[in-house]
Amino acid sequence: MRALDRKLLRDLWNVRSQVLAIALVVSSGIALLVMAQGVFGSLLTTRDAYYTRYSFADVFAGAKRVPNWIEERIAAIPGVRQVQTRVVVSVSLDVPEVTDPINGRLISLPDRGRPALNDVALRRGRFLDPDRAEEALVGERFAEAHGLDLGDRLFAVINGRRQPLEIVGVALSPEFVYGIGPGELFPDPKHFGFLWMTRRHLATAFEMEGGFNDVALTLTDRSPSLERAVIVELDAILDPYGGLGAIPRADQTSNWYLQNELTQLENMGLLVPLIFIAVATFLLNVVLRRTVAVQREQIAALKALGYSNVRLGVHYVQWAVVVVALGALLGIGAGLLLAEAMLGLYMEYFRFPLLIYNVSASSILIAVGVSLVAATVGALGAVRSVVSLPPAEAMRPAAPETFRVSLFERLGARRWLSQPARMVLRNLSRRPVRAGLSIVGIAFAGAIMVVGSAMMDSMDELLEVQFNIIQRQDLSVSFFEPVERSAVHELAALSGVLQVEPTNGIAARLRNGHLQKQTAIQALAPDARLQRVVDVDYRAIRLDRPGLVLSTLLAEQLQVEPGDTLMVEIMEDGRPVREVVLTDTVDDLLGVTAYMEQESLRRLVRRDDTISGAMLKIDALAEERLFGLLKAMPAVAGVTLRSAALENIQTYMLDNMSMMMSVNLLFAVIIAFGVIYNTARISLSETSRELASLRVIGFTRGEISSILLGELGILTVASIPLGLLLGYGMIAGVMSAFESELFRLPVVVDPNTFLVSAATVLGSMAVSAWTVRRKLHELDLVAVLKTRE
Amino acid sequence: MAVQAPAAPPHPAPVFAMKGVTKVYVMGEVEVYALRGVDLELHEGEFTVLLGPSGSGKSTLLNILGGLDRPTAGRVTYREGDLSEAGERALTRYRRRHVGFVFQFYNLIPSLTARENVALVTEIAGDPLAPEDALALVGLKYRLDHFPSQMSGGEQQRVAIARAIAKRPDVLLCDEPTGALDISTGIAVLGALERVNSELGTTTAVITHNAAISAMADRVISLADGQITSDVRNATKQPAATIEW
Repeated sequence: MRALDRKLLRDLWNVRSQVLAIALVVSSGIALLVMAQGVFGSLLTTRDAYYTRYSFADVFAGAKRVPNWIEERIAAIPGVRQVQTRVVVSVSLDVPEVTDPINGRLISLPDRGRPALNDVALRRGRFLDPDRAEEALVGERFAEAHGLDLGDRLFAVINGRRQPLEIVGVALSPEFVYGIGPGELFPDPKHFGFLWMTRRHLATAFEMEGGFNDVALTLTDRSPSLERAVIVELDAILDPYGGLGAIPRADQTSNWYLQNELTQLENMGLLVPLIFIAVATFLLNVVLRRTVAVQREQIAALKALGYSNVRLGVHYVQWAVVVVALGALLGIGAGLLLAEAMLGLYMEYFRFPLLIYNVSASSILIAVGVSLVAATVGALGAVRSVVSLPPAEAMRPAAPETFRVSLFERLGARRWLSQPARMVLRNLSRRPVRAGLSIVGIAFAGAIMVVGSAMMDSMDELLEVQFNIIQRQDLSVSFFEPVERSAVHELAALSGVLQVEPTNGIAARLRNGHLQKQTAIQALAPDARLQRVVDVDYRAIRLDRPGLVLSTLLAEQLQVEPGDTLMVEIMEDGRPVREVVLTDTVDDLLGVTAYMEQESLRRLVRRDDTISGAMLKIDALAEERLFGLLKAMPAVAGVTLRSAALENIQTYMLDNMSMMMSVNLLFAVIIAFGVIYNTARISLSETSRELASLRVIGFTRGEISSILLGELGILTVASIPLGLLLGYGMIAGVMSAFESELFRLPVVVDPNTFLVSAATVLGSMAVSAWTVRRKLHELDLVAVLKTRE
Repeated sequence: MAVQAPAAPPHPAPVFAMKGVTKVYVMGEVEVYALRGVDLELHEGEFTVLLGPSGSGKSTLLNILGGLDRPTAGRVTYREGDLSEAGERALTRYRRRHVGFVFQFYNLIPSLTARENVALVTEIAGDPLAPEDALALVGLKYRLDHFPSQMSGGEQQRVAIARAIAKRPDVLLCDEPTGALDISTGIAVLGALERVNSELGTTTAVITHNAAISAMADRVISLADGQITSDVRNATKQPAATIEW
């Protein structure tokens, strides 16, 4: 080993705690990046492999009942490669010993062979025996949620009749990676399940022999223009058979949620790590500059001995490289572990039969590269000022530093300040840029804390709004077919039902010129109490004018404003198209929805006064008995409990967010500590001579500590409000990055979040102060007398 | 101001007493003897010069007297107190109340003006001089609000002396106070020390390897190799202004 390399190692060893602190900050950024990229890359690769291997379709359509011979016409549409027709029905499920209402979907599999499209991945058991009517495959999450095993039985309630089903296999499908029931946001496998039966038996049970009600197809290529053309053709073919409007893969529910998640991961996976890496680079530069300044005389001596500027430059660049390399090593390791843990969580909610780890090496290389380049530039900048001096000059101590009376003192505060207080103020005001950067660095740590916790606050707020202000029913009932409005009275007559409000929804396609969006129009009574339309300020909006009210996001997507006219294509018999005026938009938080006053909707659809469901407020004591009564009603397709939905979402958030929160918290603490500790160590090395002089003339340890830590304290305290402000700004940015059709998170920061952030920063300061104080006690008083700067 | 101290008696009671003081530094595997059984008494109001080449142990001696270091063996007393047994807190208190230090490289706080550097000490002392008076005593009445970077080396050293004496210390310990200065500024600094010694009666010990300075002392102690080789009392003191080297 060369002498200079040995010097490098020893120098690094001497400042090892600082090196470690910076390396940890570097590693936090890289770990976050590796984690986010790893989760993103793995999910993306896994999804694509899954879709390909199990032939996920490109276009999906539902209808009332289509004769089987139509399949040939669909296959003949130019651009269609493969067609798979099916029977799909919604049922209510009865699992032994479970009282909660459970909704389910039965999907047909071909009698012989495997489906050409949307194939199922068998996890356990075997495929269906076409000769046995009661056999079913059951979705994996549903099986897990209810502890169902091969050979277990459950019942599908069909038209009030209990059809027994025997589980012979457990399966997954690319259609239900994110397996949610209608109207749900998060998978709730306790209350919703997918099951597969052979086509023959399912068709028999549902009087669908000789026909189908669901079709999926793949295209010869996935160009948007072909996709649009095929959808138009397909809609035309299915029209006479109660076609509900075809949707492209992008709008397929499970895929849509998955894509949403991937987009979020992609956005978040870059922003936050970059902040960390920027802070780490900044720290590295400050420490390096100081190190080089301290070694000024050594550098001069080395030059006098004949080392070239380039060689010395390389020496200090190596210094930076070692720190970044250490950070990168730690970061990549931690990132991979975290990615695996996060993927484990994702696998709870997004189900795949395979998992392909894929961490994009290029993004990691870029992160490490950016850190390296920034560190190198910093190192060179620091060395250049020193190596440019002739050796003889550099061997003399640097000119004494010039101080001024600080502005604060000139404003009149001077006479109240002790000399140590003046030292602190002047040290700070002498290097305002560095003091500013330190404040910003610490503020970032506080801000990251705020971001981490505020996401939780926003989620809480969202739930509060959704489940206490918007949805106030205890349970909702949906019917197979629209029923007479008089059903409201029947429901109200059930004992234990306190209040009933009808709901009505139709599937519709909203169009403005070439822009269109498939959605549901929800009908509400003007005086609805159990489900309301609520704006961003949580005020209930009264629907008392004819016309549509749209989520603001939906109106933006369709480029319409209140007063404009929209074309509404109703996805029911004959798919009539009507003109409707947009009367208002509403800044709602969940989903994108269209609302209409119920009477206006009824006139629009031109049908009898029917309802498609009802909201109930019930007596909690009568709950169990009511479920039984409701399930027994032939018209009832499903019953959804508000409390179950809320509980499910809370569990999801606890699982998912608490992990993110802990990771954020850990890294915020690392940053806070890294910045504060390094700031303290740098000012210690800069002022140790002064502080030792003070010790010699009789200042106590406590007194000199307060000078050093006073400076640190001022920086830290000054950073807190800035950190909170930055955090608020960042959370607003993050929330707008999060904005999706699924939900818009309100920017809400709980005061506790601010407190926790400030407390973390102060705590990091206390630990840094404690560590540095110990160094202060080891000051060599005698050496001070003998050495010059 | 002019606090006139009584003229020093010929044989006053000892301020410091050292008995068999030995100091050993362990440098890796080698033991270095900085002091080997030194016996010494310093008296009230005395101006003592400790003379010796580098490595003779004079700095170690001064550090032990100033409460910055403890002897390995032997006893050091300051008046009735035992410095060789004192703890960290007691030594800090001792330095704070009784000792004024002047260093070769001044060790001023660059962020404080001359007046503030002196105030640093007067703020924590019991019965200090006013900073302005201390600075006037060393001839810096007109440089009160200058920062160290705005002063020459000699001026900075005189600020350091003002800072050392402002607390009215019982002893003034100076380590090569002119070591970093040229002759004319060095003489101005020595003049300041002389004036403090005569006007305030402060017991003063100056260590130097510059033999010329010994002419202004009451007493000259020479050290070599950790031991006292001579201890001479000057019959007449030469004024600082007339010293040359």
